[in-house]
Amino acid sequence: MTTRPALFRDPAAFLTGFFKNRDWTIPGLILTLILLMVFFGAQSEFFWSVSNFLNIGRSISIRGVIAIGLTIVLISGGLDLSIAAVAAVAGMVAAMLIDAGMNGIPAGLIGLAAAMVLGAVNGSVVVRLRINPIIATLATLLLFRGMAYVVSGGDNIVIGVNTWAFLGRGNLFGVPVALLVMLGIMAAGILFMRYSVLGNYLYAIGGNSEACRNVGVKVDRIRFGTYMGTALLSGIAGVILMSQGGTAQPSALNGAELDIFTSVLLGGVALTGGRGSLFGTLLGLFIVGVITNGFILIGLQIYWQDVARGVILIVAVALDSLRRGGGYR
Amino acid sequence: MTETKQPLLTMRNVSKAFGHVQALIDVDLDVAPGEVMGLLGDNGAGKSTLIKILSGVYHADEGEFTRDGAPAAIAGPGDAQALGIATVYQDLALVETRAVAHNIYLGREPRRWGMLSRRKMEKDAETLLKNLNINLPSVKVDVEVLSGGQRQAVAISRALAQGGDILLLDEPTAALGVEQTEQVHHLVGSMRDQGKSIILITHDLSDVLKVADRIVVLRQGRLWADARAADIDINQIIGWITGALPSRFGAKEAQA
Repeated sequence: MTTRPALFRDPAAFLTGFFKNRDWTIPGLILTLILLMVFFGAQSEFFWSVSNFLNIGRSISIRGVIAIGLTIVLISGGLDLSIAAVAAVAGMVAAMLIDAGMNGIPAGLIGLAAAMVLGAVNGSVVVRLRINPIIATLATLLLFRGMAYVVSGGDNIVIGVNTWAFLGRGNLFGVPVALLVMLGIMAAGILFMRYSVLGNYLYAIGGNSEACRNVGVKVDRIRFGTYMGTALLSGIAGVILMSQGGTAQPSALNGAELDIFTSVLLGGVALTGGRGSLFGTLLGLFIVGVITNGFILIGLQIYWQDVARGVILIVAVALDSLRRGGGYR
Repeated sequence: MTETKQPLLTMRNVSKAFGHVQALIDVDLDVAPGEVMGLLGDNGAGKSTLIKILSGVYHADEGEFTRDGAPAAIAGPGDAQALGIATVYQDLALVETRAVAHNIYLGREPRRWGMLSRRKMEKDAETLLKNLNINLPSVKVDVEVLSGGQRQAVAISRALAQGGDILLLDEPTAALGVEQTEQVHHLVGSMRDQGKSIILITHDLSDVLKVADRIVVLRQGRLWADARAADIDINQIIGWITGALPSRFGAKEAQA
């Protein structure tokens, strides 16, 4: 054989590659968002207004901060169900310290530290004890939520306007500070996931942790770190929420996990790890925010909203498995 | 001809036991530069044990190694890599959800100001693949869309990117079709042409004669035969593997 064989030139594989490697997730999400906005705009005259868009932005900012953490943990092949409970504990710790007379700044920072301790608990249970993260963080969800009730005696802690109020209530150039905080962390996260070596390892670990171990990536340490990072973000959300209402509730964000998961999965993050992006999560947040806002504007009854949320969650999970079904497996 | 060149790697009296089972007994083997060695043997003959010793996964109970004539020790995967030994395992250990370039440089990503230098990584990967005559749609495609032969090529490229000149390939064609097998053999040939030494573990006897320069047969943990591929035929290989032909080194059948 004198001619070199058409090495690895496989037209069929090339074509599949061409279509499969065009990722339709982001364009699909943008289109969905536009369609929803057109739909609700037609249904309600109040939808297309600056103040309504700022409302939507405000409504997704706190959940958005938590969703950033959840996205990162899911991409690295982990899972954290305790996200909202961690936020509640962080807000509760900060509020109780402020209530006891502590200056707001150290109190808020201690709240964040408490969140990171809880993240270390999650990380230890998942990484060191090697317990499936669904079970591990379902258990810590109960544990942390219970702690929020125990330390507060089940009461709301009312502190009123405090040092952190600008975070939850303030506006900068007419835009809610909480939204700016969320978008700022989001932007930093997008850069981190795309351009840092560590961010790339998070994707690789979610795709094949064994392959990463083989080449010397410190998989366990990084995984532990994702639970700490997620908890820190939840803690920030908890402190913002506490400052927004001037009150900390042990039941804060109870059930918000579902909306957060819906946004993240809708945004194209795979439950199986290794896939997804923070930009997708941002779009997922806006879609859920627009739907929730639109339903209120068109006067949909509150329990129908729950029904709709359930349906959207199923759609999000179905899209996730569809993406994988269309994939290699 | 090969006798005049200094071997890249030598092994002397390498033995390894697992409990009462002697997996390898006094194996002597030299790896010459730029040769393809087909390492054959029945299940349990000691092929995998030998490969794992060379890649640093197992530690030999006894035996000496040299690299370029200088004494060497293989106490772990890091040592093996430092000696220029790179291993491609059967499961390839690729991250399917990541692009080719990411896989090739996984764990050794080029950095710029502490950040991932994606452009350099992709350019280096393209150069590496080009030098090996590997054709992929792009280094930016995810591994999951590649064929089995292409994946094997990516895994081999990664081993080469680690800077090894002795490549251990564990059953690289076991899961591949005829054409893909041909592609991998072609790749093995072009690596040899670049002066790399390849140790090829395989079950496929007819293929190994096509691609290998040298055939080494292990049987019951002992070196049973070591011959130039051009001098032998498939029946001799089968005879050595099954024990129907006596060892070329006077090794005896183990007492049953």
